[in-house]
Order: sequence, then structure tokens, then C-alpha cells
Amino acid sequence: MADPRELMDRYCSGDSAAFRELYAAVAPKLYGYLLRMARQRAVADDLLQQTFLKVHRARGAFVRGADPVPWIYSIAHRTFLDDARRNKRAVVGLAASDELPEVAADFNGLAAAHRDEPRHDPEVAKAAIAALADLPAQQREAVVLTKLDGKSVAEAAAIAGTTVGAMKVRAHRGYNALRKVLGRPE
Amino acid sequence: MTTETHQGHASERAQDALLQQVFPPPAPPEIGAALDAELAALQPVRTRRPVRDALLIAGSGLAIVAAMLAVMRVREDLLELPLGWLVVMAAAWFLGFLVPAWLVVVPPRGQMMGRWRGAALAGGVSAGLFLLVGFVHSPSSGGSPVSPPYHPGCLGVGLLASLVPIALAALVVRGAFPVGARWAAAALGAAGGALGGLFLHFHCAIVDPMHVGLMHGGVVVVAAILSALVVPRATDAAFRER
Repeated sequence: MADPRELMDRYCSGDSAAFRELYAAVAPKLYGYLLRMARQRAVADDLLQQTFLKVHRARGAFVRGADPVPWIYSIAHRTFLDDARRNKRAVVGLAASDELPEVAADFNGLAAAHRDEPRHDPEVAKAAIAALADLPAQQREAVVLTKLDGKSVAEAAAIAGTTVGAMKVRAHRGYNALRKVLGRPE
Repeated sequence: MTTETHQGHASERAQDALLQQVFPPPAPPEIGAALDAELAALQPVRTRRPVRDALLIAGSGLAIVAAMLAVMRVREDLLELPLGWLVVMAAAWFLGFLVPAWLVVVPPRGQMMGRWRGAALAGGVSAGLFLLVGFVHSPSSGGSPVSPPYHPGCLGVGLLASLVPIALAALVVRGAFPVGARWAAAALGAAGGALGGLFLHFHCAIVDPMHVGLMHGGVVVVAAILSALVVPRATDAAFRER
């Protein structure tokens, strides 16, 4: 797969095929991020489209040779926050007594073709999904960026517009909450 | 490394792997109709060239100061002032302009977003220092007017000098700050305010410490606040709902 820098470069030069390649390269992880932040597939779909529309409108901000991925993530972060503020979604969490959606497989974003592949203990998976969904938005974001998307703490901090120290604390707290679920005895 | 540490790291790696399994990257939806329509009419765009842009902003800032001094005249006591103080303060005002502007406009190599946090810090420090220096040290040639200390003309003229570099910088960084836009704008305002201060340094002969501190140093503060309120509307336009 081509380097996002090169794809963005070609896209800014007017090559729409390069944009499609960039979308194919970046969208899966970005969609995962948005899905885990928004916790609703329809909302995540919309946020992903909005994010790339904003990338398109702001593409003149690109610096040739620079990595566009953290910038795209920052746009997604901001798009999520704006949407959450508008709809007050960020403050809505699943209470302990609330039932998790029946469609847990949908929630974790597995494609239909993969849904039947037993790759992990479904109980642990369900508990992990619930634990992640229960985390405060900032901790959830820190875990998703650093543990699931493989970003460094510095990259995650830049994406979320916070300090490295604050991101470390959020990731640590969020990850500790998840570890309790993942590390429990069988 | 102890056995416990090894076991701890192995356990953490195993948990990381499990997390990756539980949360695999999902299949994203196809590109939407609105974006498809935009792509159908895709045109090449001019991308940013940060160093060139920063030099352009610095050059235009100095040109504005020179032009304003030519029109509004330099202070009458300029040649009687201590040369060292004159040069050091001019350099300080210029650095107060250049450093925050550079940090906002020129991102680290390989990155797209400027160092808005560092820029805001630099702007804040320069604002504090210029207020303080104005209050404690404003040498007089002996014949300089000492009043009126609250003459607001300096604030207005200083803000006028800051307008062009702030507007230019806002133009070149539009779309570059999905996060931190307000801080970046405040830093640009402080930078522009310092340029206004540079102009006043060579223009205004009032040496009352209250005047120099509040009206000259205050330009940096007021420009930063105004810029933080106004500039993100321009730089963030691409990120707003339409």
C-alpha cells in the first residue's frame, strides 16, 4: 500500500484515484476510532464522511512531505467532539444496569464475513466492549488511539490537542480498567 | 531485568494482542455521495510552504513597520536615546513577533500541524515581559514628553500595525489546526501585537512607565485576545458544518 504522504501529495495535485487509495488506507482504522468514540454505527458512518469532506475542503493546508494521518485523525477528533456537543452524546454512558446492545459483533465493527470466526472468548470480548464503552470519552479515546490504533502517546496527544502527560494519564487509567476485564481468570 | 518484570511485559503484550483481537479494524462504509461529487470536480490545489510563508509574513511585517514609520514619523528623540537599549528592545519586540508566528506557521519536519502550544506559551511570555519591561524601564532623553500616560492612540496604532501580519498568517494556516486553533490564533495575535510594539518603540516618545507598559505592552495582550476571538472563524472555516 502506498505511503499516505505520497497519496496526499498526488491527491492535492488533482488525482482523485489517490484520494480513493488514501481513503482505503486510512478509513478502516479511523472508522474504528470513530465507532468506538460514537458507539453507534450510523453516527460513526456519518462522522467518517464528514471527516473526509473536511479533509477535502482543507487539503490546501497540506505540507508536501508531511504525514497527513495525524491531521486527519485530529479532524475526526474535532468532528466527533462537535457532534457530541451538539447532541450531548459524549455524556451519555451505559449505566451498569443497562443492557448492552444485542449486536455486540456489530458494535466492535467486525465485517459480516468475519462475524462467525471464533477468534477469542466471546464473554471476554463482550466484557471488553462493555468496559471500553463505559470509559469516560477521554480515557476511551486514549485507549483507542494508543492501544488499538498503535499511535504513540505523543501522537495521540497531538491528535486530541492535549499534553503528553495528560494523554499518558488517560491511557493508563483507561487501560487499567480494561485490564481488569481482560486479565480476569477464566 | 527481573523475572517479574519480564512476566509483566509478556502479560501486557498478551493483553494488547487480545485487545487487538477483540477490536479489529472494522470495514468502513464506501465514500459518500457528497464526497464523490466533490471528487468528480477535483482540481489541483496550492499546498502550504511553511518556511516561505513565515518569511513572507516576517518580511511583510517589517515592511508595514517601515511604511508606517515613514508616514507617521519616528520619535523626535530617537538619536538621543541609549543605543544599546534601543537595539536590544527593538530585537526583543522583533523576536516577540517572529518566534510565536514561526511556531504557528512552520510545523516540525514531517508534520502538518504547527506548534500551537509552544507558540501560545511564547506569546504569553512575551506579553508578560513587554508589560513588565515597560513598567520598570523606559529611558528618557531628558526632553521626552512624559504625558499623557493613558493616551490610547498608541494602542490603536499598534493594533493597526498588527493587522496585516495576523491576516496573512491566518490566511496561510487556514485548515491546519483542527485542534488548538484558538491558541494558535492567540499566539498569532501576540506576534502581531509585538510588531505593533516594535513600531511604537520607534514612534512614540512618551516615556511614562504606565503608558509604555499599558499602551505599548498592552498591544500584545489586546491583539492576542482579539485574534483568539476572531481568527479561528477564518482558519476553521473548512471544519464547520455547511
